[in-house]
Amino acid sequence: MIGDIFFQLSVRSVRLNFLRSILASIGIVIGVVAISTMGMLGTNMQLQVKDQLSSSANTIVITADAIRMGPPGSSPSSSSTETGIKKTQLNKIKAVVGANGSVIPLYSTSTQFTSGNVPARGTIYGMDPDDVTKFLNVGNGTNIASINEALVGYTLAESLGVTIGDKIKISSASEGPPSNSSSASRATVKIVGIIDARGTVADSVSTDNGIVVSKEWYVAQYGGKDVYDQVNVIVDDTDQIAEIEEAIDAKLNTDEKTPAVRISDASSQLDTISSTLETLTMFVLAIGGISLLVAAVSIFNVMMMSVNERVQEIGILLSIGTETGEVRKMFVYEAVILGILGAGIGGVMSLVIGYSVVDAMMGTTEFFFLPDSLLYIPEGMLVGVVVCVLSGLYPAWRASNMDPIDALRSE
Amino acid sequence: MSETPLISLVDVTKTYHLESGDFTALDHVSLDIMENDFVAIMGPSGSGKSTMMNQLGILDVPTTGNLYIDGRDVAKMTKLERTHLRRDTIGYIFQKFYLIPLLSAYENVEYPLILKNKTRDMTGRASAMLDAVGIDKEKSIHRPNQLSGGQQQRVAIARALVNDPKILLCDEPTGNLDRKTGYQIMDILCNLQREGKTVILVTHDPKIAEYAQRTIRLDDGRIVES
Repeated sequence: MIGDIFFQLSVRSVRLNFLRSILASIGIVIGVVAISTMGMLGTNMQLQVKDQLSSSANTIVITADAIRMGPPGSSPSSSSTETGIKKTQLNKIKAVVGANGSVIPLYSTSTQFTSGNVPARGTIYGMDPDDVTKFLNVGNGTNIASINEALVGYTLAESLGVTIGDKIKISSASEGPPSNSSSASRATVKIVGIIDARGTVADSVSTDNGIVVSKEWYVAQYGGKDVYDQVNVIVDDTDQIAEIEEAIDAKLNTDEKTPAVRISDASSQLDTISSTLETLTMFVLAIGGISLLVAAVSIFNVMMMSVNERVQEIGILLSIGTETGEVRKMFVYEAVILGILGAGIGGVMSLVIGYSVVDAMMGTTEFFFLPDSLLYIPEGMLVGVVVCVLSGLYPAWRASNMDPIDALRSE
Repeated sequence: MSETPLISLVDVTKTYHLESGDFTALDHVSLDIMENDFVAIMGPSGSGKSTMMNQLGILDVPTTGNLYIDGRDVAKMTKLERTHLRRDTIGYIFQKFYLIPLLSAYENVEYPLILKNKTRDMTGRASAMLDAVGIDKEKSIHRPNQLSGGQQQRVAIARALVNDPKILLCDEPTGNLDRKTGYQIMDILCNLQREGKTVILVTHDPKIAEYAQRTIRLDDGRIVES
């Protein structure tokens, strides 16, 4: 193509009107940057959520249907009522899972913590200490060994300013305001370990701002023995998740109209979040697309100017035996050059601006250089070039269909 | 020399449909031009000279009648076939030179070869043609606007000749040149005719027309002298 005389003519035409060509290409630059950056931002958000949820991708969360009305940790999950997963249901779950995974029953409630004079609110989880290491990582300290010991979440430890060996007072009234809690109702636990940060997790155990105690301590404090707030099933083989979910559903939700338990996993949560983010990404991409539409009009305008200024030249070309297709090719090349110019600059700028925007909006560029994210740059560039070529088609067609006699006469 | 005419117009009429009404630029014109002829077409403005040249150059087709070039009926040819016939059989020399402004003198001459062979010229033919019309290597890299009128017309002649056409159509080739340069250009055309080309020349200048072997006079779209 480089040696093609028609390509040479197009290059020289663009060079002759360089400023005009650059100005027209700026529209493409903006369009490419807009759609690439927006696409990358959306993808980076999706990748971040996916990454956070993937740590618990092998977990099925089972909750009593009646109490799954609010977000995890804030639901009215008072264990003194009979709402929750009962022992008979737990046994059925264990029977279904068998040797294919671990069944972890959990108590949880939202409560008030105090260390010294520093108060904080968070979630307290009661579970078998043996289950802790199955899904939680005690980065600092040891696991719970006796009834008065507890593990504290990374964020809560920071906000309370506590460390291993310190004591935390916990209100026994799960929903009561601090002023209503008498000192007598406050039990004390000793911190023996700090749980690593977990971020957004799909297993509904958000320990970052919470405390984990033994189930015995929890029942002694809040009651509700053998009525669990949720049961997590950690499946050994993720391919079996759907099969196990179906089996649990069949076993526990015998009445289809009023299911006893709600079963969910990371993939269903991921689908919901991804779908929302995808809609959002499409919306911002459409806004970016508008700038490309404006660019298309600008390119069309420049191409029409180029055709109108070169009418006599087109007449010469046609009169000395140039085929109409060759004239058309010459103007399409010109549109391609403008497109490549705009898309090239736009691609480089997308990398810089996209990186800055992702860093500013998300606080991390961990996922920026992944193929799923970077793919938006060549895609954006390709769209930019295609838009240019489409904008140049009519001017090229018009040039090639001129009457050579009329074209030669024009001055 | 062939017995059949190289160009034959048979009762050709060209009518333009204008807002003010129909205008007949060529009115039942019949004419034969043999191979190796040197023909001058003369006539006042509006007599149909340019229309006749457009017909002979296959830039236009007759409204009625038939035009045969090299034995082929132009009206029965497709647009692409006419383009190829124009490219391969006819060399056009214009009063205003009509070189391609974005190409150098060399590239202007090479251009018809590229059209025909679909590749850049590796044979040196374009350079040889420029040499033949007196344009040296140094001048050949210049763009048309860096050349004098006479040099531009020489480049235009080289371009017209590079595909070795049978017919040279010259539309007032000396009109934009001083007298001396004009005569030099006419000498080149005479030499080309002697070498076997068929030269058809449109001119206002009787002195230029004297170079031709035959003069055709047009008036009101009709041939008044042949």
